[in-house]
Parts: sequence; C-alpha cells; structure tokens
Amino acid sequence: METGLRILFLSAVLAALPGCASVRSWFHHRPAANAEAQAADQAQDETTPPRVIEPEVARRKITVPKIRSRNVEMGLYYGELSIEDFGSHPVYGVTAAYHITEDFFFQAELGRSKAGRTSFETLGGNVQLLTEDERRFTYYDLSLGYNFLPGEAFLGRGVAMTSAFYLLGGIGGTDFAGDTKFTVNFGAGYRVVPADWLAVHITVQDRVFQSSLLGTAKLTNNLEARIGATVFF
Amino acid sequence: MSARARAGALTGLALLVMLLAPALSAAREYLQVFVTQPYLELHTGPGRGYPVFHVVPRDASVDVLFRRTDWFKVRTEHGVEGWASQGDMLKTVLADGSTFKFDLGDRAGFTSHRYEMGIFAGQYGGATLISAFGSVSFNPQLALEGSVGNYLGKFSNGVTGDIGFAHVLAPEARWSPFLTIGLGLVHIEPKATLVQAADRTEQTAYVGGGVRYYLTRRFFLRAEYKAHFIFTKRNENEDADEWKLGFAFFF
Repeated sequence: METGLRILFLSAVLAALPGCASVRSWFHHRPAANAEAQAADQAQDETTPPRVIEPEVARRKITVPKIRSRNVEMGLYYGELSIEDFGSHPVYGVTAAYHITEDFFFQAELGRSKAGRTSFETLGGNVQLLTEDERRFTYYDLSLGYNFLPGEAFLGRGVAMTSAFYLLGGIGGTDFAGDTKFTVNFGAGYRVVPADWLAVHITVQDRVFQSSLLGTAKLTNNLEARIGATVFF
Repeated sequence: MSARARAGALTGLALLVMLLAPALSAAREYLQVFVTQPYLELHTGPGRGYPVFHVVPRDASVDVLFRRTDWFKVRTEHGVEGWASQGDMLKTVLADGSTFKFDLGDRAGFTSHRYEMGIFAGQYGGATLISAFGSVSFNPQLALEGSVGNYLGKFSNGVTGDIGFAHVLAPEARWSPFLTIGLGLVHIEPKATLVQAADRTEQTAYVGGGVRYYLTRRFFLRAEYKAHFIFTKRNENEDADEWKLGFAFFF
C-alpha cells in the first residue's frame, strides 16, 4: 500500500509541474497590474476631451513608512524543577514566543536542570542508579498559549503595567537518564509588561512523561516554577 | 572561575546585549493617520479586555508607533500613547485622504501570504514525532518549506530536517490540498542495549502531500503525509513514512 501511495504522490507532483510553469508572477500578489493600467490609459485617451485648464494643485505625496510588527518575544528564565523521585533542583532555559492574535501565541522552550539522588540511592549507601551525565535533565517543548484575565498591575500611585494570565499546553521531548522521552507539558503563567519591549513572567508548568527507571513503567510529573524576563521584537 | 563557566557567562552576556539592542534603536519616522469617525478609542493594552482610557477626537491625528498582533500602538498630538484596535484603525485615513491599508489576518490572507509556521504531532516510521515547520511563499501557489522533527521510538530516537517545495493546488479554497517534494537529513540514534550501534546521519529525499484547512483569523490546520527515502551507506536503501497533523498560522 505504501509503495502505491508513493507512486501516487510522485505522479501527482509530476502532474503539478506544468502548473508551476504557468504561474505568471513568481514574486507575489502582483497580477498583470501594469498591463491593465496601460489599457485604461489608452481607453481614456480615446474618450476624454482635451483639458482646457491645467489645474495647478501640487498633489501631496505620502510615503508610507513600514509599520513594525513586534510580535516576537524572547528571553531567559530561572526556577526550580521537581524531578519525580530525584528531588528538586534549579532549572534555567531560554524561551521564544510568537504572538499570533491578542488571545493566542506559540512558544518554544529549551531548559536544563540536574537530577539529584533518589531516596533508594541515599538509603542504599553506594548504589548509583545513574551516572553524572545521565542525571542531566534537558527538555524542549512547543506549546500553544492562551491569554486570559487581562488586567493591570499597579506600583504605587504613578505606575500602571498591563498584565495577563495565560494557559500553556504543548508537546516536546525530555532527555533524561540516557533516553529522550515524549513529553506533554501544561501549565499557567502570569505576565507583567512594564515597558513595550519588556515582559516579566512567573510560570508554573508540569512536564509529564513515561518512565520505567525505578522498575515499573509509570507517568512521572515534573513540576516547574520559574521566573523569567523576555524582550519583544 | 572555570573556563566553562566563563564561556557560559560570556554567552549569556552576548545574548543579553542582542536582546536589548532593538530596545535601544534610534528614533524613527512614524506614519501619521487621521481620525474620521467621531472618535478613536485608546486602550491601555493590546487586547479587547484592556479598558479605554483616552479618546482621540475626529480630524485629530495619531502617529502609528508599531503593531502587536491586531493592535496598533499610537501616539496622539499631545503625546498620549495607547492601543487602537485593527477595526478602528481601518476607519482612519492618511494625510492625502486615502484609507489606511494594512494586512488583515483573514481569509484573503490565507490565500495569499508571505510566511507560515506551525507545530505538528505525528508518526515517523512508527515512532512518535514532534515537528515544527516554517515556509516562505513566492506566490499563493508555491512555497519553500523547511521542517525539523524529533522522533522518539522503541528502537531508536532521532532528529530529521527537511527542505523542499510545496505546491498549493487551490489556495483560495478553505480545504486546500498541497503537494511537497524535497531533500533532507536524518540523524538516527539507535537504542541498542546489547550491541552498541553507532549513531548515524543519512541523506533523505521525500515526496508527499496534504491538506490545509482554514480555521479563523490567522489559523489553519495542516495534515500531511511524506514518504521519505533514506539513502544509507549499505546495499539497501530504507524508507520511512511520516504522518502528521498540526496547527499553523500565517503572517
């Protein structure tokens, strides 16, 4: 069946090739506007009578400067990650987000922490479940965020900063104990925007993946609380 | 301080400088638009939930500072700064009386736009796949696409990267099918417990197709199939099927 599919798609691509060749304007949205304008000019020459008075009005010419879009947010964060069975340890990472509408944004994160010792290792004396390298906990995720409860935060009398809560949910991978696991993440955060280009975040997230490190396969919940600063571009 | 820590600190500092650079950029020229409606409402933030704190009367002008999603940060003649919605800005005019035009995130934008981005979940050769893509459109039919993926399977994990062309067959349709063809690389990390198999990176080529479905605003769903041919250094080439479903947006 798969070979059949491949042949089907290959032949479909081949069939579409002449279609590509027929595309007249390769560089976007500029259909034969010039041709139309010329045709209109010619038509005007034939129908309108010659002008008696030439109006001496200087047309104001407007150059429209490009309006910058500042939808990209990038930054760093630092916090605490509780790795199930391995204790809580500092976590740090980078984050990048793209704001699509006032409600939704996409976010990518890359973070790193280090696992401690399980109680089994502590009690067992010289037992080592993992090597030092395997204790490194690295994750990445791609998430969708939803802003809700927009508001303002006030500092004393004179300063008002817009703020919002957001929900996060996404998928990613966690590299821990010598393997990368498919990870689902969800959480919520609070964002305060002191300036147009700066935002401060407080985020709590849970990273869930399946692990069978301690004998039985189970879903592990790895809770993370952190504070971060991001810059808008 | 170890050399590694120092390198880390330097990288951090360089990142910070890069992050702050745009915030310190020099003053620039702004577009001036005039209010034609009885008034223009200014909100405290870029969202419908933020309260209106100021109104700009008819015939007064505002400078458009920048845009965030569907909101414009504007400055009045008196120096008051606030956020005006896309819908209100559509009713303003430029100094020569022509209407203020800008790209809207709507169905027409779905047909013809410059960039697309999205994230996917799916399967790659039987393994779970997490993937992201971005594309640049030359015209409504033809786009250059790049995608990266991370697959996590029972026998191996790996990373894929593809670059190729997408041909959209009916860009104006809500359900719009497309075909793709391109080249890529795959990095395979086998999970061998008994025999230590080495990681390897192979070249690939793919052909595939899928469908986009316009949801609302700037969003669409994208379902895709790719047949990958993996050119190995052994006698026999391999192939892998990739199925994925994702959520994407254009801008």
